[in-house]
Order: sequence, then structure tokens, then C-alpha cells
Amino acid sequence: MIRMITKRLLTSIFTLIILVSVVFAMTHATPGGPAFSILGQKATPAAVKALNARLGLNVPWWDQYFIWWGHLLQGRLGFSYLLNRPVTELISEYLGNTLMLYIGAIVLAVVLAIGIGLVQGVTWGRWPARLIGAFQLAAYALPTFFVGTMFILYFGVEWQVLPTGGITNLRDVHPGIIDYGRHLVLPILTVGLLSVSGLSRYFGASVHEELNKDYVRTALAKGLTFRAVLFGHVLRNALRPLVTILGLSFPGIFVGSVLVESVFNYPGLGYLLWRSALSQDYPVVSGIVLLLGVITVVGNLLADLVNGLLDPREIYD
Amino acid sequence: MSAVLTLDQFAVALRRGRGKNVPILDDINLTVAAGEMTALVGESGSGKTIASLGVIRLLPRGASTAGRVMLGAQDLTDLSDAEMRKVRGRDIGMVFQNPLSALNPSTRVGAQITEVYRLHTGESDRAARARALELFGEVGIPNPADRLDDYPHQFSGGMRQRVMIAMALACSPKLLIADEPTTGLDLLVARQIMALLTKLRRERQMGVLFITHDLSVVEEHADQVHVLYAGRSVEWGPARSFFEQPRHPYSQALLGAVPRLGQARLVSIPGNLPDPETRPPGCRFAPRCSYREDACETAYPAADTLGGTVFACRRGREIVPEVLGAVPQAAVRARQSGPVVLQADALGVDYPRSAASFLRGLLGGRDRLTALSNISFSLQRGQCLGVVGESGSGKSTLGRAVLQMIPYHGRVILDGHDFTTMGAREKRAARLGVQVVFQDPRESLNPRMRIGDIVAEPLKLAGMSGSRARRDAAAALLNRVGLNDRMMSQFPLAVSGGQAQRIAIARALATKPAMIVLDEPTSSLDVSTQAMLLNLLKDLAETDGLSYILISHDIAAVSYMADTIAVLRGGQLMEMGDAASVLGAPQSEYTRELVAASPHFRSTNKMGAASGAVAVADKSGF
Amino acid sequence: MSLSLAENMAAPGGALRRGAAARLLGWVGDRTMLVSGLVLAVLILLFCFLGALIYPASPVAIHGHHAFQPPSGAFPLGTDQIGRDELARLIEGGFSTMVVAIPAALLTFAIGIIYGMTAALTPSWVDKILMRLLDALLALPGLVVLIFFASLFAPGNTELIFLLGLTSWPGLARLVRNEAISQRGRDFVLATRQFGGGTWYVARVHLLRVMAPILVVNFTFLIGDSVLALSGLSFLGLGVKPPMTSWGGLLQTGLNLIALDPWWMIFPSAIMIFASIVATNLIGQGILARLGEGR
Ligand code: SF4
Repeated sequence: MIRMITKRLLTSIFTLIILVSVVFAMTHATPGGPAFSILGQKATPAAVKALNARLGLNVPWWDQYFIWWGHLLQGRLGFSYLLNRPVTELISEYLGNTLMLYIGAIVLAVVLAIGIGLVQGVTWGRWPARLIGAFQLAAYALPTFFVGTMFILYFGVEWQVLPTGGITNLRDVHPGIIDYGRHLVLPILTVGLLSVSGLSRYFGASVHEELNKDYVRTALAKGLTFRAVLFGHVLRNALRPLVTILGLSFPGIFVGSVLVESVFNYPGLGYLLWRSALSQDYPVVSGIVLLLGVITVVGNLLADLVNGLLDPREIYD
Repeated sequence: MSAVLTLDQFAVALRRGRGKNVPILDDINLTVAAGEMTALVGESGSGKTIASLGVIRLLPRGASTAGRVMLGAQDLTDLSDAEMRKVRGRDIGMVFQNPLSALNPSTRVGAQITEVYRLHTGESDRAARARALELFGEVGIPNPADRLDDYPHQFSGGMRQRVMIAMALACSPKLLIADEPTTGLDLLVARQIMALLTKLRRERQMGVLFITHDLSVVEEHADQVHVLYAGRSVEWGPARSFFEQPRHPYSQALLGAVPRLGQARLVSIPGNLPDPETRPPGCRFAPRCSYREDACETAYPAADTLGGTVFACRRGREIVPEVLGAVPQAAVRARQSGPVVLQADALGVDYPRSAASFLRGLLGGRDRLTALSNISFSLQRGQCLGVVGESGSGKSTLGRAVLQMIPYHGRVILDGHDFTTMGAREKRAARLGVQVVFQDPRESLNPRMRIGDIVAEPLKLAGMSGSRARRDAAAALLNRVGLNDRMMSQFPLAVSGGQAQRIAIARALATKPAMIVLDEPTSSLDVSTQAMLLNLLKDLAETDGLSYILISHDIAAVSYMADTIAVLRGGQLMEMGDAASVLGAPQSEYTRELVAASPHFRSTNKMGAASGAVAVADKSGF
Repeated sequence: MSLSLAENMAAPGGALRRGAAARLLGWVGDRTMLVSGLVLAVLILLFCFLGALIYPASPVAIHGHHAFQPPSGAFPLGTDQIGRDELARLIEGGFSTMVVAIPAALLTFAIGIIYGMTAALTPSWVDKILMRLLDALLALPGLVVLIFFASLFAPGNTELIFLLGLTSWPGLARLVRNEAISQRGRDFVLATRQFGGGTWYVARVHLLRVMAPILVVNFTFLIGDSVLALSGLSFLGLGVKPPMTSWGGLLQTGLNLIALDPWWMIFPSAIMIFASIVATNLIGQGILARLGEGR
């Protein structure tokens, strides 16, 4: 067990090193260098040179690479060009909001996916599963921002039951938990529903597949009811691939939340990413990209560890 | 003795696609008596597994059944679903093939056993655990207390099957249904499982319905035999009478298809098992039967009896089987001492394995695991070397080393040319001279290539130009292995397993190899198909002077084919020599056990085929 | 967009494995999926590529007097806020969506296959390095990287194709690699090597052939994904540049004016995007289901 964890940790660290390098390469792939993107393509050579010196871009790239690493390890991600604040500070300001949305959406998605997937897996090939399949496809095929806007239109504008943007009521000086919650409902629903589509389909297929395995027949031959077999034997085995896929789909869910945060003007990382991208504030963008990569790598690691707990073979082999 | 299970005119039909149900099993009458074993024998597609699932009412959705299933005095077909659930596990225990997949991989075996006991007895967790412990002891699992909390994958194949049996016995059922419980297990292990089942049923006065495709497995254990063909019973009765004098042509062919030492020719059954949707109206065996008369094809033959067994054949009374007892025994083939085709000197194979020590593992260090050590042999033209051993004995590794598929040390010399001294190019050309036929014919043919292209592929790679010429050559190859060249435009999935294996042989012949490595070529085939394939291989050896290395766990097949036999265990050569002497008078204890565990071979010995048979037969007794 | 489709494909048991999924689906149903997907796809493609011939109005001409009008005889789908013909713009948007999405999918496809095959067929240490790199790339959501680059320079159509192609291949590459590795040890590959087939030959003739169905299916999914990604980009203001437009751009314009309830500016483009994704998925799932049943 310890050996497996160590091995997984080491590969994750290796992946992280590559990840950091890739992000570094991305930021340096800018045509003409970042100075041009800040100052515009018509900047004078002198101005560019001055800015490069100020940004530490006048040394060879490998020096920059190591300097960047040094900063990273100290938790520094550079300064926002636009807001002139440390990126770390900006990110920590927005991170909490995103996490609320993100975790809320994932929890919603997982709970719904398990419920829907069980029904789909059990009725596979018959009309309930087909109907669910049609809904899954529909949810997948609708652009996130369209769904979000429709939610705003109906829940916010037509029926006026829920707030449609931001995270608190601006007029409220001391926003309460209920206020936060009300603002979170629509974004979470939007991100969550779109994630449910893929996760539940996947889980449905895996329930169906487990149900066709020999051990199910054995369990039934012992005299267990179908329900007991489903919840006592099948569920646990079918959850394993779901955990893996969940770990892998963190980046995808984030993409959903970038769009959703933009729709709802929700002050999270996605929103920050979008604003910074539009204004070409690339230290912020690369900082967020990096953070996201780290979250994903760690997420995958966690998924593997959870799987290790669910499946004894992972530990002993 | 009283009947535990009685099937009375039992029939099952399954739903296929959207159409109406297709009959799979018709009119089965069968009894299992307390303390006895009834063997339900049939090849794949005969409906034997459906029969067992029908008894416990776990058939696929949409299936329909007819007739009665009596468990003691109770008709199971009358029970409600809830009542039936109480019968499963409590009154009927089930043991399935392949216990690795039949046990839940993520649940401790102890929990899987206590689950069924608690369900039916309502006992406490603690009592159930005590019961599980007791059962573990009874089925012969060493250190039962330590093993209850292990997971299925931590057991070996044989132990896993014992776990399955312990689970099936948890509530002391009156009837045990065992569906191919020994298939896929090594010979010696399978034999132990059979012995265990026999012991248990005698002690507990439990009836056993034993389902198998392999008659030889049940020869010495079954009290009753019931042979199924294409969903109908063709012959049934006391095992003793059955093995002494089978009456139905199909039973005779099944028994005759089992290879015996020194036998010149195996009985094979032409054609294939009919599909349930296209079964012949009269006798279902008619299209493949050599005793067929016109009347056979119009009406299903009535059951008849003579000398113990009941058979459904119009001519069962008159057919005198030439197969049994009449096997020509003058067997040991005249040894032609042809030139040496292949020679192996001190052949050894090590596999790298992640290092046992953790730190070295991190640094990428490797330990070496010896899969094969220091094997030397030589093979003459037209001869067959049989390599026998259990799984993990290194027999397949030996084949792969000869084929140059894996790195090895020592030398392999083909036709006087040493592979180890060859350059890459030369080696590639020389490898053409050693070809291979694998166990699973479907795996060895690319499912997305047409059969014609598959057979012609080696020719194409060898640079033969002209697609027309290649087609003709491929057709000729197919004809040589007894296949019709009309199948050239079909895909491998459209043909039967036996045909697919012959296609693989045709392809192997394309490069005109000096020898072929046969890696368990018949173990995934039914007995009758296996006989046909072995006959074909034997013919090819005679006409072309082909040499073989036959790798197999099946001593019977090896004894039929091999001139020389090598016995491997744990990568070591236990014994090698002339086939008759290795099998007749084994030198090592291990070989003796292996030979003793092979029932078909032993029964030949009983007939006095080889000297030294008495000792062997004695040892095999229980 | 929670799962990349390559992941969807890798559903437990592998989409192509016998039995499981497809056996229980009645075959009539499966064929319905495939056929309706194909019909829908052809209709959409005809609309995008030949629509301008049948309805030759200009997508950029401004009809100032008729700005922001619901559908009428003169403007079948109405006009936008500055008086451009919405139907003409829908056709033009479809055209620019497809000329980016299809080549981008092709590019993704090519890179994914080459990378995956290389990883599968090279010595294991090369494979290990390539796979760690892939892990790192997979940890970066394609669209976010796309946003990053799109923000650095204003991408034209060609740049968009390259950006999409270069950011969305890792999922496919992993699928190809895993599939190729599981196939390359199969007996028919070993047999081929025995009669002289080299690595390249095996990859070309055997691996690609057995993997063909799953690759075709993924290609259809990739097109759908590209359409979705493009529309997301347009929504964020980083897609096709005005005055040209794309479906995503049209939808975004409509949604921005949502307070005025311009349903004719929202639903046509939303439906087109929706229909494209549905079509590609129906085709893909239809093929999968038929394959599963054929085995
Ligand atoms: S009934 Fe006729 S065809 Fe059938 S097995 Fe007997 S002899 Fe052969």
C-alpha cells in the first residue's frame, strides 16, 4: 500500500514538473514576447527593452525558467500587469468562490449520476435507459452558456425566484449564508447538470457491465434478492471506474465553470481567467492554468488512492 | 436411493432478438439421487448450462420453461419468486466455472461465505464466521483462520474453487450443481477438486449434478451419465454401462475422440453442431452421423434401451462400436531417424521483474525471475516433441524462445544455423522456418481481415507478387487443411473455432516452415473438433515431414501426437524421453502423478496397452 | 462538457468489447440511431455549404430601417440589432463554424493517432516520458489553454484550426496508445511478426485496422467537440472576428440582448449547435452499437 502510494506520488511529482515546464513554454510562446502583448505591437524598441528588464525577461530563457521555479516554490506567481497586484493574492481572493461552485457542482453531479446511472444500468436496453440516454445526449449537446442564460431568463427574470449574477446582494452589507446559497443555486445547477450527463452515462454503462459479470450470478444463486446484489455487490465495483473518470474530468468541469462564471458574472477563477485573457494579463492567466493543472494532478492522485481503498487488488498487487 | 432432483420433460426456450422464443433445450428427463453424482455431458452449444440455470430459475430475461423440476417432493416451477430465492443457496448450492470471476473481487471471501449462511439461517455474524471456518477446513484450505479475510485474487485457482465449494455448502444443501468446476484448472488440481466433490457428496449424502464437456473428467466419479446433443438427451443411464458400452453414435464418437497412447487414428465427427434455430427435424445428429438412414431425418428417434443405458437412436441396438477396445495397439511408430531440424542447447529464459527491494525499485532496478533453465533437446524431421507441464511450468516460454519471440540464453539451432549468431536480417528470414499456432484461434486471426488475406499475408510479406497468384496459393493452402476456399472472402468471426484453428494452420504452412510450435492448439476446442485437428496435424507431419513442438497440459493429446515427451515443472526439465517410456514407466514422481491424473490415458492402460500400467493404475485409485 | 469524449469512449469494458452494451440494444434501434444521425449531419452540412446558393442574401449588409425585427417574409429569421439578415448570418456562421471545426478535428485526429501510436510502439522508456507529458497536458483543460492563446493574438480561421487542433489531441492520443498497447500483444500480431512483419507493418496493417471503428467513432465525436469548443470561444469573445460570425457568435449576440427577448436571434443558432452535436453523437453511438452487436 505504502509502496503504491509512494510510486503514485513520484509519478505525480514528475507530471507536475512537466506541467510547470509546459506552462512556462506557453507563456514564452507569445509572438514577440510578452512586452509586445502589454505595450501593443507598435511599441518602440526602447520601451520594450525597459519593460523586459522590469519583468526580468532580459536574461536567457533558461535563467528565467529557473528563476520562475524559484518563485513558484516560494509561492510567487508574478504580478498582474493590469491590476498591479500579486497573482497569488488575486487567485486566493477568487479561489474560494470557485471552490464553492466547483465542489457544489461535483457533489450534485455525483449524487445525480449515481442515481441516474443505477436506473440506466439496471434497465439497460429497455425504454427507461433509452429515455435517460436521450436526455444525457441533449444535456451534452446544449452549450453551457446557453443553458445558463436560459436559467437566468426563467428563474431570474421571468419568475424572479433566484438571483442571476454575482455572489452576494450588492445592497447587503453583511451577506448571510442564505444569500450566498441563493446566488450559488443557478451556477451550480448549470455546471452540475452538464457534468451529470457524461458521468451518469459512464456510470450507467459500468453498472450494466458489472451486472453481467459472473459474480452477480453467483450472488443470485445464493438466494440474495436483486436489490441486495445491486447494493451489496455491484455498486461498489461499479463505483471504481466512476472515481477514476471523476478524477480525469476535473479539467472538463472547470471549463464548464469558466463559461458559467462568465454567464453569471460570478467572481470566481473562471471569471478572473476570462477577464484577464481578454485584457492579455498573462501572468494571471498562466497562474490560473498552473493552479488548475496542479488541482487536476492532485485530483487524479486522490482518485487513484480512493480506488485503492475500493479495490483490494490495487493494494496487494 | 431417493431422488434429490428430477427433471421431468424439462424444456427451455430463450428469446433471441425480437422474434419469438427459440427452443434451446427440449424434453430433458434426468434424476440426481442423494449421495450420487449425475454427469450432464455436452459440447459447447448443447444447452447444458441453460439446463442448470433453468433448475435454479436464473435464466436470462424473456426465457420460458416447460415441464417440471422436482427438488425432492417439491416442484420448483410452482414456487413464487420469493420462495425460490429461499431454495437457492439453502437447498441448492452452485459452483461455477472460473471462480476468479464467479467470486466478487472486492469482497473478502469470508464475508461472501457468511453472507449466504446468515441469509438463510438468520444466525449471528459470529456464528456464521465459525461456520465459514469449519467449511474452510472441510474443503481443505490450509490455515483457514488466516485465509477467511483474504480476497479472491490472493488464492490460487484450485483454492479459489475450494472457496466456491465452501460457499455452496454453507447451508448444507441437498443438491449441488457444479458447472464445469474443473475447466481451466491444472490436471492435478482438477483431480483434487473431483476427489473433494466425491468425498463431500458421500459424507453429506448430497446429490451432485455435474456439468461438463469432457467425458473423461467424470469417468471414475459419476454414477449416472446424461449426454446432451443440440438440446436433447441422446443417451443416459448408469455410468458403468455407459462407459462400457455406449450405444448412441454420438456418445461413441465422443469417447473415441479422446486420444490414447499409440492410437493410430482418432474418431472425429464431421460438421458442426447445428444452431438452435436450424436444428434438423428428425434426429439432430443425423447430418453428422455415419449410420444415418432416411428414416432418421423425418422423426426424432424414440428412446430405446439395451444393456443399461437408454438411447435415442434408431440403430442403437445394432451398431457395434468398433471404436472402443478395437483400437489398434501396435502403436509405437517406426522411428525414422531423419536429419535434426531443431536443436536447443542449454536454453534458459529470465524475466525481469520489478525489484523486490523498495529502494532499488525506485531506482528502476530489476530482479530476474527464471522462467526456464538449462533445457537441451533436439528434434528430427517429421517428429513431434511433446512438452507437458502445468501453468507456470515454463512450457509456453520454451515455445516462445524457440520462436525467437523473447530474449533467451543458450542456443537455438535451426537446420544447422544458430540463431544467436545471426544478424537482424538473417534472423528475420530464418524465423520464417519456425511457425506458430496458438491456443485461441479467434485471437490469432485479425478479426477485421478477410480469411483469404489472412492466409495470403505471409506470402505477401515474403514478397510474392501478384494478388491473383497469392489468392490461388491461399486457396490451395485452405484446401490442404480441409477447408473450402469459398470462405476466403469471409471474416474469421463467421467460422467455427475448429475452422478458425485450421485457418491458422494454413497460414503457418504458407512459409513452408520446417517446424511448427503448437501452443495448446486444441485446448479451446470441443473434443470432437480436437480429434479432427490432431488427425490433420498428424497427416501433415507424415506428408510434408513437418516437425512439431506440441505444448500442452493435456497428456492425452500429447500421448497421441508425440514421439518424444519432455515434462517441465517450474522451469526445470523433470524428465525427457521416448513417449512410450515416459508415459509407460515414468522416472520422476511428478510425471507419475501427472500420468495418473489423466483418466483417459489410464483407462487405456487398464486395457493393457503399455507395460508398467499396473503400477500407475494402482496409484490412481482412491 | 464535463468529459472529453475520448474518455466517454473508454467506458468500462471498452466500447468495442463484445457483449455488454450493445447486445441488449435491439438492432433496429441501433440502426435508427446511425441513420438518423447521418441524415441530420447531411442536412446540416447542406445548410452550411449550399445554403448560400439557395438563399443568397448578404450576411453583412445592414438594413438600417429593418433593425431588430422578428421573422417576416423579407427576413425569414428576422434581423439583428443593426439590421443584418439573420438567416444569411446563420448560413454564414455555419459555414465558418464547419470550415474551422472539421479541419481542426482532422488535425486533432492526426496528432492524436501519431502520438499515441508512437508511444505504443517505441521502447518503454520513451513511452513513459511521452505518457507523463500527456498526463501534464491532460491536466490542462483544452479550452482554457485555447483561451490563453486566443488572448495573446487575435486568431483568424487558420489560427483557430491550429489552436483547436493543438489543444484537443491529448485525450485521443491516450486512447490510441492504450488501445494499441492492448492490441499489440494479441496473438495475431505475434503471428504476423513470426512471418516477418515489422513494427511499422504491424501498426499500419493490423493495429490501425482493428482500431479503425473506434477511431472513426472518435472522429465523429471530435467534430462535435470542436463545434462546442468554438461556440464557447465565441461566447467569450475570442472566436471568429466580426463582421464575420459563427453560430457561437450569433448565440452570444442574442443572449447579450436577452432582456429584449429576441428569441429569433437565440434559438436558430442554439438549435444548429445542438443539432450538430446530436448528429455526431448519434452517428458515433450508432456505429458503436452496431459493432458491439456484430461481434
Ligand atoms: S437415429 Fe439415425 S442419424 Fe440419429 S444417431 Fe441414430 S443412426 Fe444416427
